[in-house]
Amino acid sequence: MSTARTTAPPAKPAPAVKPAPAAKSLRSRRDNLHGWAFSAPFLAFFLMFLVWPMISGAVMSLTGKSLTGANSGFIGLANYSEAFADSDMWRSLGNTLYFTLISTVPLVVIALALAALVNMGLPAQWLWRLSFFSPFLLASTVVSLFFAWMYNPELGLFNDMLANLGIPPVAWLNDPAVAMWAVVIATVWWTIGFNFLLYLAALQNIPQQHYEAASLDGAGGWRQFFSISLPQLGPTTVMIVILQILASLKVFDQIYQMTEGGPGGATRSIVQYIFEAGFTGYRLGYSAAISYIFFGLILLIALAQVFITRKRSA
Amino acid sequence: MKQVDSRPMQMTRRQLLLGGGVLAGSLTLGASLTGCGGAAQAAGNDIRFWHLLSGGDGIKMMAMIDKVNADHPDYRVKPTVLAWGAPYYTKLAMASAGGRPPEVAVMHAARVPGYAPGGLLDAWDLDLLAEFGVRPEDFGPRIWEKSQFNGQVFSLALDSHPFVMLYNTEVADKAGVLGKDGRLAEISSPSQFLEVSRELQRVTGKHGLSYGYLGDGAQMWRLFYTLYRQHGADFVLEPGRPAQVERDVAIDCLEFITSLLDNTISTKSGDGGTAIAEFAGSGSGLLFTGVWELPTMKTAGVPFGASTIPTLFGTPAAFADSHSFVLPHQARLDETKRRGVYQFVASMLKGSLSWAEAGHIPAYQPVVKSKEYAALKPQADYAQAADIINYDPVAWFTGSGSDFQGYFAENVQNVFLGRDKAADGWDAFMKRINTVLAMPNPV
Repeated sequence: MSTARTTAPPAKPAPAVKPAPAAKSLRSRRDNLHGWAFSAPFLAFFLMFLVWPMISGAVMSLTGKSLTGANSGFIGLANYSEAFADSDMWRSLGNTLYFTLISTVPLVVIALALAALVNMGLPAQWLWRLSFFSPFLLASTVVSLFFAWMYNPELGLFNDMLANLGIPPVAWLNDPAVAMWAVVIATVWWTIGFNFLLYLAALQNIPQQHYEAASLDGAGGWRQFFSISLPQLGPTTVMIVILQILASLKVFDQIYQMTEGGPGGATRSIVQYIFEAGFTGYRLGYSAAISYIFFGLILLIALAQVFITRKRSA
Repeated sequence: MKQVDSRPMQMTRRQLLLGGGVLAGSLTLGASLTGCGGAAQAAGNDIRFWHLLSGGDGIKMMAMIDKVNADHPDYRVKPTVLAWGAPYYTKLAMASAGGRPPEVAVMHAARVPGYAPGGLLDAWDLDLLAEFGVRPEDFGPRIWEKSQFNGQVFSLALDSHPFVMLYNTEVADKAGVLGKDGRLAEISSPSQFLEVSRELQRVTGKHGLSYGYLGDGAQMWRLFYTLYRQHGADFVLEPGRPAQVERDVAIDCLEFITSLLDNTISTKSGDGGTAIAEFAGSGSGLLFTGVWELPTMKTAGVPFGASTIPTLFGTPAAFADSHSFVLPHQARLDETKRRGVYQFVASMLKGSLSWAEAGHIPAYQPVVKSKEYAALKPQADYAQAADIINYDPVAWFTGSGSDFQGYFAENVQNVFLGRDKAADGWDAFMKRINTVLAMPNPV
């Protein structure tokens, strides 16, 4: 529900015991059985909390189901056609894509820059690593509260700094033109550590000989960075970008806590709209339909990812 | 179990079982920890009571509950306070829909149309109420009318809390707008109101009027709807049809409000906190606010009186809502507990004099007619507001803390700020409302 990812990077569902592709002997069948037994606990949770909700959500999106229990009959695709004509839905989706765009770029570029800096061999490397990563450990509520205070137009740190520089105050969270950027700044500060760590690990995996050979050939620092580090980081970058896009698309916490989607809906994300349609608007069926439209969008992006990574490895 | 061999497999299986046991245990523990307020905890003679009153109101409410608990030891009312607005109403609806609601809860009367038709609430039994000494004639006509839905009583009002005007008696006196009775002289036209405000501004040197609205749809709506209803105009929302409103009147009201926000009479961009601080510091002569700010002003020590918002457009009207007791629908009704609820609510209504200290006008007339209440100043000065109160237009999406007030803010704030024309802001608001009215009705 946020751009914070709590699981390990490409969290493929736990690598369940795979039955060996052996001959159809008794032995292998028994192994098979063991395999299933071992994956059963996971499978049970997987079915209960992922597969079943997905099916029941899809069914719900075809009904007028309401929180109050009224008018819950089957209504076909009416929810979908209503959603496609709902300007608020498009606006929230637009906000989400806008957030994704303006958060993904800095979260990748700055993470790379930080990792490259730390990898240069600065003294007290552990301290840098810790400082860049530690905000990621905070809960979204903590981060939102910090930043809401710092963005306070009267008492906040940011406007105080601007005033010292002689710049007029900015209504960070109350100006529709600025609010999304304010959220992005908070998000970058909060979640950059994860991408930073991935980049740092990848940088440290590049064999030292490449750099030695390059410097023998007379390549300088920048040349080495662009001709060795960057290409070597290619797969990591693809992975980070994809993960970041998926995480940013799910943005909810910090926006809900900092602006509640305001001012005037300027920062309302699609996930918040789904929440509002279903829970404050009672219309569970309709909100399920919107969430499936959103699901379709994410599916497209995931397929694009598969396509890109296949092409790379081919 | 029966085969005892020492294959490594055995260990793994044991570990697995152990791990599974730990997992299951922690899940059960987690479930019971997160299940607070659930049916599991409603033991014996506990009556669970949800409300949304925090701050000064919350302390008053707690004291009233404690008193009832002390007087009636046969049950114990356990209050749960939840954050005002959408979070509260969402949780209440979810709890009722899920079949594990509290036995009794507080709702804003204007929110009941979003709950009663869907079966989230049970109706009050008037005979049982009469047994505890509460009768329909104990409530004012407008409040009693509001407590009903489709001929049944779904909410019992504890109070009405109108949007009113506080005035600084010292400033008003200096400006020469205070009557001989020590109350603000009557104002009966928009131009007179502007005049008086300017007089007050000359005295304070800052502003004549404090009105905070920025980022607060409820506050914008309260003033707008007061003035709109003073024109005698109707506001009818019927699902499946466009809203029936008087556009010219609405635009008139918006333009009048905007004319107040000229940085002389009132600041163009005031929020709630700034307005309250300004009035409390005698930086203005008037404050548009809800009655619930009364204790704040008393604490601040500013000399003030209170009245309804002056009737500027002919028809006396005040925006208000009521904190009302409701019975969330119980999947399995416990009759003895429900009797306890009736007794609790009856005691709360009868003890609502102390609720009046928080500024609210008690709904229970025997309290309002008492000598003690008449002695309560300035509360008694606006008690007649109960006869001119106007609740939100009836619809499933209106009422205090609803999306409706959010839509108003989204479209009207820029009008107040002078960035949009009143007509454009109004039309955009109506477009949004008509979209909601065209949606299938979820209740």
